[in-house]
Amino acid sequence: MSAILSVAALGELVAGWIGQGKLVAAPVQVGDRLLYQTLATAGQAVFDAKRRPSNSIKEFFFPRHEPIFRYRLEGKEIALSDVVPEEREQIVIAAKPCDAAALPILDHVFNWDYEDGFYTGRRARTTVVTLACAAHDEACFCTSVGGGPEDEAGSDAMLVDVGDGKFEVRAITEKGAALFGATPGPPAEADGGTLKRAPRRFDPARVARYLGANFESPLWKELTLTCVGCGACAYTCPTCHCFDIVDEGNAAGGVRVKNWDSCQFPFFTLHASGHNPRSAQPQRQRQRLFHKFSIYPQKFNAVLCTGCGNCERNCPVGLGVLKVLEAIDGEQRRLDANEPVQA
Amino acid sequence: MTERLRQTARRLLEEGKVQVVIGYGAAGHPALITKAEDAQKLEWNDHCLANLSVYLTRKEVKALGKAAIVAKGCDERALVVLEKESQIDRAALYVIGMACDGLGAPKCASCQVHLPRFADEVIGEVAPPAAAPTGPNGFDRLMAKSAAERWAFWKDEFERCVKCYACRQVCPLCYCERCIADKNRPVVIDTSATPKGNFAWHITRAFHLAARCVGCGECTRACPAGIPLALLNQALAQATEAHFGYRPGMDPQAEPVFGAWSPADREDFIG
Amino acid sequence: MSEANAMSEPRPVSFEPKIIAFVCNWCTYLGADLAGTNRLEYPPNVRIIRLPCTGRIDFNLIVKAFEIGADAVLVSGCHPGDCHYTAGNFHARRRWMLFRSLLETLGIETERIHFTWISAAEGKKFQQVIGEITEQARAMGPYAAYQGMCAGPAPSPAVEAAK
Repeated sequence: MSAILSVAALGELVAGWIGQGKLVAAPVQVGDRLLYQTLATAGQAVFDAKRRPSNSIKEFFFPRHEPIFRYRLEGKEIALSDVVPEEREQIVIAAKPCDAAALPILDHVFNWDYEDGFYTGRRARTTVVTLACAAHDEACFCTSVGGGPEDEAGSDAMLVDVGDGKFEVRAITEKGAALFGATPGPPAEADGGTLKRAPRRFDPARVARYLGANFESPLWKELTLTCVGCGACAYTCPTCHCFDIVDEGNAAGGVRVKNWDSCQFPFFTLHASGHNPRSAQPQRQRQRLFHKFSIYPQKFNAVLCTGCGNCERNCPVGLGVLKVLEAIDGEQRRLDANEPVQA
Repeated sequence: MTERLRQTARRLLEEGKVQVVIGYGAAGHPALITKAEDAQKLEWNDHCLANLSVYLTRKEVKALGKAAIVAKGCDERALVVLEKESQIDRAALYVIGMACDGLGAPKCASCQVHLPRFADEVIGEVAPPAAAPTGPNGFDRLMAKSAAERWAFWKDEFERCVKCYACRQVCPLCYCERCIADKNRPVVIDTSATPKGNFAWHITRAFHLAARCVGCGECTRACPAGIPLALLNQALAQATEAHFGYRPGMDPQAEPVFGAWSPADREDFIG
Repeated sequence: MSEANAMSEPRPVSFEPKIIAFVCNWCTYLGADLAGTNRLEYPPNVRIIRLPCTGRIDFNLIVKAFEIGADAVLVSGCHPGDCHYTAGNFHARRRWMLFRSLLETLGIETERIHFTWISAAEGKKFQQVIGEITEQARAMGPYAAYQGMCAGPAPSPAVEAAK
């Protein structure tokens, strides 16, 4: 079931949710960037089907900094206390489909051998409303990893810009329907509407085959030597989820926290012995590609990437994963042409 | 200019004078060219904003052998400081200077170094720079606010910092093998992206670049959250020039500010 | 939070400012010791941290002092020309000249940071300086802006904005 809402009506809905004490997150214009942020007022929200925020919505499920517990040292005794969990309902609205699609992918790792209550608690409390894409740029490649401008993975409801400042609201799950007072409708057609899909740039299965056999390829150095080793790609990526656990405090006590970490930092794999198995940038870049396109799929049957393109757009040197993936794809194609793959 | 750049690069590689040319490729992104036939990939256009000298202190790049580097006047200032700090061997480096009168970046409006002055060869010709504009800029506007307003401004800006360290990694002068931010016995700067951790990091980053930062602006350009980091560096650059008449990277003979001292240093704030 | 607000907000009746003094071992520390041996009373609000030389005082120590709740900081050492290590205080002076401009740009209350040269013979001066700083800090109130910002890890933006 779907209804048509004007931007003004959407704004009123958002203001209502904020008034009810719910946390509402949406794209917000900050300087010349669009960034997902928790709203202070409904007027901040930007409903633009043609632009992609520079960050991702993982902040609202897996925040950049999360206290885990507090501790006090009293003589020889250690007193632990729980962090008060956030209990307010949360709504993320006008998320891009490539951001929402990351959530079912991340659900695997946060639930596989241990349920990460911090993450699952936020997932349960949050309703995700996506805004279908009316445009894509050269960095987008959702269609190469099974996504698309109207992909519904991870969405509870979807807004589609139908022009004249109006949006069609499609309820997808019970949660999404409840938010808009509707009933869930049938899934949209695979090639729905007139939204232009980005052409496919590579085949993840072919890439995985190359990765499976070419750990030591000279391609890694050739393609990724310009990486400067920051965390801009990992931190703006909807699916990257590495974290570091640190204690912050003093002799009297403190708090144990979980912070984002990036496999591109030079000390990510530094051992206490001083040995660093990934001491050079190409090794670290290789690891990123392997994690996303070989290891995670082997373990969870899901590519750890939604093709949003944030890595490339935020990379200070214009790297990102797409260029490397296209090169690998091309290389495997050449190998396939010379040697037919064994069935 | 692009063609001459490619020819120079090709020649240097073919003759074995260098093993890598650090230049700009498609869309102005950094490119490390190790084969003469790849010299065709080098570009020179409005997108060539990156300060490539950051690669000169990377061990993976140093391992490739002798290097040639494409440098604009602004980038060259970083080379001067790197040499002063004994991080590069200038004699072993081939500097391909590019004449540049602006690529449309904010820093270009006040640039005084259109022509690299210490390059091994300079490609292109441009008009000498006009006098720097005197109207108020972003920094002046910031300092016109009250201290309380400035505090609120930076608190707001740092709220968006995620501690990705892109600012540190792109800076040619942040070359410490182990940054103080990575030190954990004891922790000096919280790694958390909290207001406390972010203030501590940005104070440290700016001050460790005091009287060294050459104003290339890469930190601001690289920040995925759009924080105007260069304003902090600009504050220190202005104070450095006002107190010591020193502009990092302009004069290879000038004594670095923190390597020296003078009995005449101003001390009206010391009781 | 502005200075004006800090002064007009109700302060706890017994607000005692915390002063942290980073002093050099050879001059100011001995000067403080002289104040002690001469029974010159100075406010107990100050915690003295002894370092070999002002040249060793990292700017991060000043930042850390505010992080852990100092309301004012003193940095003090030998007079120029008298440094036990010849030039440590000259290097420190240069550092402070630039560091203050960075702090001003950030809107940090630089009136709360004091720099002095106090020699081993200047016990009286040490007493005076500590007295002045303490009174000034008492009048300015706690450095609530910095301490408030550091108080515990900030909740994620999700929680913060809804306040």
